[in-house]
Amino acid sequence: MRKLRFILALWIGKLLYKIIDKIDKERGTNLPGKIAFKISKDFIKNFKNLNYEKMVFITGTNGKSTTNNMVINGLEKSGHKVCTNLAGANLITGIATALIKDSTMGGKIKSEYCVFETDERYIKSIYEAIPTKNIAITNIQKDQVQRNGEPDFIYKKIKQIISKDVTIFVNNDEPRAKSLEEYAGKTVYYGINKNDKSFIKEDMFDKTLNVTMPCPKCNHKLLFDYYNIDNVGKFKCSNCDFKSEDKPNYLIQSIDFQRGRIMLNDSPYRINLLKSFFLYDYLLAIAILQEFGITPFEIQHSLDLFKLEGGRAEDLEVGDKILKYVRIKQENPETLQSAYNDVAEDKTSKIVMIGLLKVEDIIPNYSNTFYNFDCDVENVEQSNVERYLVFGDGVAYDTALRLKYAGVDESKIDVLDSSDPGTIFNKVTSYENDNIYLITWLHEFMNFQDELEYREYRRLLAANETYKSGKEKVRNESK
Amino acid sequence: MKANKELNITWLYPDILSLHGDRGNVLALKRIGEALDLKVNINRVDAFEDDIDFEKTDILMINPGEVKTIKPIVENLQRQRKDLDKYIESNGIILIIGTSGAAFGNTLHLLENDETLDCLGIFDMESFEKDKIYGNDMFYYFKPEQGEEMQIVGSEISIIDFSLNDKDQALAKLEYGRGNNTKTPDGLEGARVKNVFFTNALGPLLVKNPWFALYLIQTVMNGKEITFNNQELSKLDFEMEKKALGAIRKFITNKELIEKGI
Repeated sequence: MRKLRFILALWIGKLLYKIIDKIDKERGTNLPGKIAFKISKDFIKNFKNLNYEKMVFITGTNGKSTTNNMVINGLEKSGHKVCTNLAGANLITGIATALIKDSTMGGKIKSEYCVFETDERYIKSIYEAIPTKNIAITNIQKDQVQRNGEPDFIYKKIKQIISKDVTIFVNNDEPRAKSLEEYAGKTVYYGINKNDKSFIKEDMFDKTLNVTMPCPKCNHKLLFDYYNIDNVGKFKCSNCDFKSEDKPNYLIQSIDFQRGRIMLNDSPYRINLLKSFFLYDYLLAIAILQEFGITPFEIQHSLDLFKLEGGRAEDLEVGDKILKYVRIKQENPETLQSAYNDVAEDKTSKIVMIGLLKVEDIIPNYSNTFYNFDCDVENVEQSNVERYLVFGDGVAYDTALRLKYAGVDESKIDVLDSSDPGTIFNKVTSYENDNIYLITWLHEFMNFQDELEYREYRRLLAANETYKSGKEKVRNESK
Repeated sequence: MKANKELNITWLYPDILSLHGDRGNVLALKRIGEALDLKVNINRVDAFEDDIDFEKTDILMINPGEVKTIKPIVENLQRQRKDLDKYIESNGIILIIGTSGAAFGNTLHLLENDETLDCLGIFDMESFEKDKIYGNDMFYYFKPEQGEEMQIVGSEISIIDFSLNDKDQALAKLEYGRGNNTKTPDGLEGARVKNVFFTNALGPLLVKNPWFALYLIQTVMNGKEITFNNQELSKLDFEMEKKALGAIRKFITNKELIEKGI
């Protein structure tokens, strides 16, 4: 009976997948799995041929999707079949859909490897259904607090599934993820040496007001020798013996940012280094691939063919201005700090646009901008900023307050209490300075892109009208 | 000894209690104090083992930390219990934000192992950790002993619910948001006993509501028999904060209309 229900659920799932895939390729990522679960409660446990040794969950706050895509790419380009949940469908229904897609009519999985990006909040139920032997935790950081509250809230959820049965991959420079080592059977550490982009906060900020973070093991103050990203770097606890390993299993020894070269465990790699915060994603992907037996040569081949989403320069052409976009994740202080550091590297005169927005993906919507006070923006101010353009309906003044507290003269800040692209474009094109940086959430950036596309469409329409009326005029005159 | 034209801020465990950009509260006290020509001293208490120098404290700032930090806060303040009580009795100011409020109630019920933690009992209040987070804006009026009531706006990220046994200890009644009790809202926000203030408002609170920071500083200085005249107070510029408040209040009004289905 159980088997029958499974087969029924599987077939209906497959049928649904085929139909949705025909209508809209973007949407078939969750629904088939959702329906299958309705029919068979333990649906996902009934697949055959799943090899848990060749399965990995990728979880954590930042970098899940990028790492996931790199691992899949590495396995596929070296000739292996991979079952995966692409397109951010990282709940159990997304994984069920991936298995439905990848199995025979009898429920046998066809692929050799399974690589699943898993939402950290729901990882327990996923693990109970498919107990993988490998779990990679990119990092556990402050993020989307309306969902996640505090980092320890997520930490506890991930900790539940770490046991002596599993191998974990953890960032040697990220204290919370690293501290999971004591619960795991085997730990693979990856880290990055001090490099040109490493920083110490005393350089940037009033020392009395500088804060680090609590030790995940004993809650005392952690000390950082240097940071590679905010809260990620070589650390030790001020109280217990917890610290980053001196010799992680996978170590980027040196980085040539100019040429896009890294030296990793004495092997050189060519990578796309336009955005330095992707370095840890590359490193983790390479570590997983090597542990899966893929050779450095094969990995390099796959990296050459890999198109890094968000790794390209994302410039917007607005009138005669080019806006240089620097990505941040919503309500996430680490990515915002990286953005500030990126902008501060340019010491020439510039306009800096900052658009933090109201949080509108959960009811009730709310107006959080407090993560901006976790970040140091003093380095931006010291890097030769002519003007700031701060925007964002409802919260622009709050963002401006952060700048005021960094010692920015109020007369240098233009505040637009608006998220409307047209209004913002009008303001930014009025500046004489052509060196413009745009820091905002991805979805606001996409609104900007939409507005530009719409303008282009209108322009073409108008050009066509002019052409038609011109033709008519000629015709009338010739009568 | 506390020197007269000085403002001594003791910042409890800055690295450990730092969830939501809360160092902004210290920045705000510093900025406003300095604008009033006070010498502002920021004394960090970095480690649990370090004692608070209550003799050199005018405002004790306790920001929110992860739930697991409440136990060590209670333990370490208990170690200095006599000094703490004396400080509170002599009208010393303590400002507590968010989760850390639980340390000052009677008990905290923790989800892990179903444990109940005995806390400091400064407020007649019980606290309960939750398995779901609630986030929203909040708005209330704070009524000082003298002068006009002031508007307080902030956000709340609630992982602990607070239930006051003595409702009169509430810091304020909410105009918007859920405050202490997000599961069964009772309209109450924060707590106050003497000059020990507790609020759920993040933002950071004192950045968004500098008038409240000024109130705290004036309370300290009144105790030192120092008052500020209009000329000194006019050096403070809260224009941008007022605009920020206006924008958030507009947003909240729109949310209320939608919530009421209008």
